[in-house]
This record gives sequence, structure tokens and C-alpha cells, in this order.
Amino acid sequence: MDYVFTILILIGLFVILASSFDLVIGHCGLISIAHPIFYAIGAYISAMLSKQYGLPVPVSILCGGVGALLASALVAVPALRVSGDYLLIASIGFQLGLIELAKHFHEIGGAGGLTNIPSFLIKDFGRESYVVLVLVLAALTVLFIRWLTQGPYGRMMTAMRDDELAFSMLGRNAIWVKVAVFAIGSGIAGIAGGLYAHYFRFLEPDQFGLLQSSAVLTMVVVGGMRTTMGPVIGAIVLQLMPQVITFFNLPPSILGPLQGLLFTGLVLFFMFVRPQGLLPAADLWVGRKQQGDAGQSAKEARS
Amino acid sequence: MSATLEIRGMCKSFGGIVVADSIDLDLMAGRVLGLIGPNGAGKTSLFNLVCGVVKPDAGSVSLDGRSLEALPTYERARMGLARTWQNLRLFPSLSVMDNLMLGPRAYSADSLMDVFFRPSQIRAHEAEARDRALDILERTGLSPIAHSRVQDISFGQQKLVGVARALMNEARCLLLDEPMAGVEGQTYALIQKAVRDIAASGVAICVVEHNVAFIRDLCDEGVFMFAGKVLARGSVEQLINDPHLTELYFGT
Repeated sequence: MDYVFTILILIGLFVILASSFDLVIGHCGLISIAHPIFYAIGAYISAMLSKQYGLPVPVSILCGGVGALLASALVAVPALRVSGDYLLIASIGFQLGLIELAKHFHEIGGAGGLTNIPSFLIKDFGRESYVVLVLVLAALTVLFIRWLTQGPYGRMMTAMRDDELAFSMLGRNAIWVKVAVFAIGSGIAGIAGGLYAHYFRFLEPDQFGLLQSSAVLTMVVVGGMRTTMGPVIGAIVLQLMPQVITFFNLPPSILGPLQGLLFTGLVLFFMFVRPQGLLPAADLWVGRKQQGDAGQSAKEARS
Repeated sequence: MSATLEIRGMCKSFGGIVVADSIDLDLMAGRVLGLIGPNGAGKTSLFNLVCGVVKPDAGSVSLDGRSLEALPTYERARMGLARTWQNLRLFPSLSVMDNLMLGPRAYSADSLMDVFFRPSQIRAHEAEARDRALDILERTGLSPIAHSRVQDISFGQQKLVGVARALMNEARCLLLDEPMAGVEGQTYALIQKAVRDIAASGVAICVVEHNVAFIRDLCDEGVFMFAGKVLARGSVEQLINDPHLTELYFGT
């Protein structure tokens, strides 16, 4: 049963990661693949705060989210002031640099990893309660991103993605929108990191590298960018698929490369055959109905 | 009467190509100024300099007496500077209506704090902007296509959407970059009427246009530009009939 719980928790965490990454790269059009480093920052901050300073786990998870949010803003502000393209380079540099740094920083476990992270299991309810907690938070994340992208802020992101110059000329501050969305997405990833840390209770720097970047990117691309359910489906499919082949009892020397092949194969397949992903996004942004729409229909009826 | 928009000593060159050579220009409230000149004269570049899209080598711009130099493009827009683009630059992923909804100087969701913590204020703001957009769409005859995608409507209508979007700013100064290129018939008349109405409401307007009939019908005054310089300023008739300028324009 623990195996199933672990898979469900991983699915929940990757739904959070993929959805928040889609907010950044899909909805806002910010080219960055360093999303896992903010997941890592959240995980390490939360782990350290609870382990070393005895902070209650929920508080330390929140602090991890805030830490990831602030760190992402630190990367984004200078990069985006130059141009959008620099964000890709700056964020990858930040990701790889920080991983190397973490490997040599023994206070947080170094390359060997951080162990004995306090767990966040409520004793009488067991692991089931943690599964429920993660899945509920995943659902809330999806709903929050849907709410944000279908409201007036989503209209801004869409316009900015279409034409940044025209967007600025209307009086909208493109840099601020980018930094804000990048920070929100990264902050959500940071919270997911905390949830990861207190369940698996072990963190090592290498697990947050480019391999995980490509995994999250694949989930978003395969599922369908700029859709509510695309990243969810992508996360589920790509979490389950590698699990399926573990049932074939293959030796680890074959299993690892095979999973890598599967990932790469899927990306290639989707790029050629279905670049829009399993769930294609609509061509036209349509916001949710607002109360103001009542005034609209009255006025339209008159005209 | 002081000018709404004041350009002083504007200079800009890209490598060896001079696009603005100490340009002084005043735009007056309620007046339409036509910028005339051959391709490459620096007309659109002047717009880009005024809007802060391109940084000048020297010179200053001020709107209603307030200097714009240190301000980025979006802040200039918030002060009441609006423009349209030669190549439209509409948002293809948004409907006509939503293109307009982004146009007010203060947008409902400019502040994230409002988005998260003041939903009622956002709703009020959105409703107000929507009413204004509907009003402008009605005046420009675009109401029937308010919810269409911008790539599904005719080129002339797209031009009109560009003008309508700029109107959402309630600008003090409006720069129109070739609003008539590729436009004819009913849309032509609609754009003409729209520009007249805006000017009548006290907005300073500057139009770059190759359509001589349009310039003649609409502009109170014209400026002839060539190689980044203002060569002449006067009535449109005067400029058109100047044999020297005609020669420069057609390059004969």
C-alpha cells in the first residue's frame, strides 16, 4: 500500500510543479526551465527550518514557499530588465550553480544528501492523510492558476505574450508582470518542495537538476500548454508510465536508460505528431464571467 | 497657448543613418498635424522616440509641460500618450473587446494586491472599462464584431481596432502611424470621423500618412520630413504644391 501512496503523492507533487511551471512558461511565455531549483529551495529551507530550528512543519513549508518566491524574484529582476531571453540563461546558471554549491555545503548534507528530515505524518491518521493533503493542495493549485489566468491578470499575460511592445504602449508594465508571475510560479513550486521533503525525509542536490527540468517540461508539453487540465494529465501520464515498466522485473542497468528513452521518445513523438499536446489550448483567450458582464448585456441589448 | 506635446532638439542616428536631426515640433490640443515625407524620412522613428521605444541621442519630449525623458514607455502611456502602429500590433489571442479592455491608463489588474485582496474593486474597474469599450466600439462601428478574434476580421477593421484601442487611454496626445494604409470605403470614413471627433475633444493628434487626400481632409497643418529633418511646416495645401518638396517626395 505504501507503494501506491508514494505514487499518489508524487503525482500530486508533479501536478503542482507542472501546473505552476505552465503558468510561467505557457501562460506568461517566460522561457525558463529552472523550475526544479525553486522546488529544491522550498524543500531545503523547509527541511532545515524544521530540523535545525524546530519550527512546526506547516510553518517551515510556508517559509520554503516564500524563500523560493524571493529567490526567483532575485534571479528574474536583473535578467528580465535586460531581455526575456536572458531569463533562460540566468535561471539555468542559477540552477546548476546552486546545485554545485549545495553539494559542497555540509551543513545541508552536501552531495551525500540531507537525512532525518522531520516527517509530517499525523500519527493517528497515517500516510493516507498525507496523500489527501497533497492531492487537495494539488487541486487547489490547479484551481488557483485557473482563477488567475482566466481573470483580468490572465488577459494581461496573454496580451504580453502576444506583443510586448504594444502591451507596454497601452500603459502596462511588462517587466513587473513577468517578475510577479515568475515569482508566483516559483513560490508554488517551493511549497511543493516542502511537501516532498517532509514525506521522503531525504534530499540530495542532484535530484533537482536538468533531468527533472526536462521531466516537468515534458509533462507540460505532453499534457498541453496553457490549459487547466493539460499539466495535470501530463503529470499523471508521465508519473505512471515509468512505473509500468518497473513491473517487468528488468535489471536496474536496463531500467534506468529505458525510462530515459521513454521520456525522450515521448517528447520527440509529441513535437512531431502533436505539438499542441494531448489537450490543445484554445486560440482565443476567454475570461470567466464577471459581475460586470451584466452591465454589458444590458448595454448590448440597447445597441 | 502652450503645446500639449513638445519635442525639442531630438537627435538619433543608427550607425551612419540619421533618423532624427535636431527636430523641434509642437503638437497643440485639438489640432491634427500631418507628418509627410518619403519612406525613410524618419516619421515612424520620431514616434518611437516620443514613446520611449527608442532612446534618443539627444533632445527632450514633454507632455503637458511634464518631461517624459526618464520614463519608460508604459509610464508615458499612463500619462496620456497613446499611439497606433503601422503594422497594427493587435493581440491575436484576444477578442476585439479584450484588446480594448487592456487600453485604459489604469488597468483593473495593474496591482496584484487588488487582484488577490480587492475583488470588488477589480469588478468595478472591469465593468467601467467594459462600458467605455462598448461606447468606443459603438462609435467606431465595431460593436457587431466585439467578440470576434482580430485575425478573423478585415484589414480595415483591424486598423480601426488599433485606433479604438488607443482611444481607451483617453489620451492627451495621440500618434497615428499610417491609419489609412490599405483602408478604403466605409472604414475610411469611419476612421476619418473618429479622428475628427477625438481632435474636437481637445486631444493633440499627429498622423503619419501617405494618403494625400486623407491628410488634406483632416489635418490642420502639415510638416514635411526628409532624412530626419523637418524641412517645412505649413498648411497641407502649401506643402503639397511646393515643387521642391514634391521632388524630394518622389525622388525625381
